[in-house]
Amino acid sequence: MALCRPCLGIRIYLLLPYIVTFKSYHIMSNHKTPVDIHDEVNYDPTVWVPKAHSHGTKGLWKTFWILLFLTVADIGLYFTLDPGIFRNGIFIFLGVVKAAFIVYSFMHLTFEHKGLKKSIVLPMIFVIYLIVLMLSEAYYWLDLNWL
Amino acid sequence: MMWFFLLSDAFTFSSLLVGYATVRFSFPQANETQMAELRKEMPFGTDVHEMFHANPDGFVGAMNDRGIFAETQWPAPELVFNHFPGHHLHWPLMFVSLMTFILIMSSVTMVLAVEAGQRMERKKVEIFMLLTIIGGLMFLGCQAWEWTKFIGEGAKLYTNPFGPVTFAALFFLVTGFHGFHVLSGVVINFIIYLNVLRGTYEERGHYEMVEKVGLYWHFVDLVWVFVFTFFYLI
Repeated sequence: MALCRPCLGIRIYLLLPYIVTFKSYHIMSNHKTPVDIHDEVNYDPTVWVPKAHSHGTKGLWKTFWILLFLTVADIGLYFTLDPGIFRNGIFIFLGVVKAAFIVYSFMHLTFEHKGLKKSIVLPMIFVIYLIVLMLSEAYYWLDLNWL
Repeated sequence: MMWFFLLSDAFTFSSLLVGYATVRFSFPQANETQMAELRKEMPFGTDVHEMFHANPDGFVGAMNDRGIFAETQWPAPELVFNHFPGHHLHWPLMFVSLMTFILIMSSVTMVLAVEAGQRMERKKVEIFMLLTIIGGLMFLGCQAWEWTKFIGEGAKLYTNPFGPVTFAALFFLVTGFHGFHVLSGVVINFIIYLNVLRGTYEERGHYEMVEKVGLYWHFVDLVWVFVFTFFYLI
């Protein structure tokens, strides 16, 4: 421990300029002058970000109306259909549709790279596997309750 | 990285919800013919409070005779979540619809803040982030009210007057876990909002942080879609 303490002190001392300075990004990347953060030729990983561009608000409002309509439809179906596997199936289906709209429109997954899209959506197969596994177990429990 | 954090969080929530579904499906549903009778006796807007206080024993007895709130069957959500602030009328699922609307609305203001950030319009980002924070706080307030009502009726982690104990326990666990996500989302949004006010992102040259907290906020909304479906509809 005695050896560690001065070490830590030195580290904090060395990091101090980066912590207290506002424009720490420029110091860390050894740029004397402000850099172009979107520059793809002189690529600098400490400051570089992809250039953001808006896709407009029209699609977002459309998604809002779809979500609102589906939620109202949920409530409407709750009071019109008889309870059972069919109604529950519709609710889950509508839930997945709503979730897809949120992910693809609000979270802009449509505009992401193909690889990212796949790596986010494909792992959901594990959830489907879990659902199948646990629901078959649940029906077995239900049988046990009847006995 | 935010996407991968959210992916892991999605797994956590799906485990909780699949766990709930497993327990839920292992119980039989409320008896439909008796539910239909009850709906005729208690149509939308009935003063349940007055009905109960006119004849408490008779009211509870009628429910028990029908086995509506028996421990062996899952209660119908319309009989559990039927309160609305300001009156004692039977308004099934109306309050939770309002909560859902508030959360969807705050999601819209968040995505508008993100969109304004992409165009580097600081003023609009400020306004929409503030609206998002207000929406989040409204949602939390609604949830606090609902919890208070539910606890006041005797539902705890270990007891549940409406049926199986696991119903109340999982309700508090999952909505609590989601509510804590909303709370942390509001706190993170507030920090980013202060940074926007201070001009940090204007100086940095991009509003990517707003996009990142936006992702988190939409994820919270996404989870609510499923919490709403599983706890209030099924």
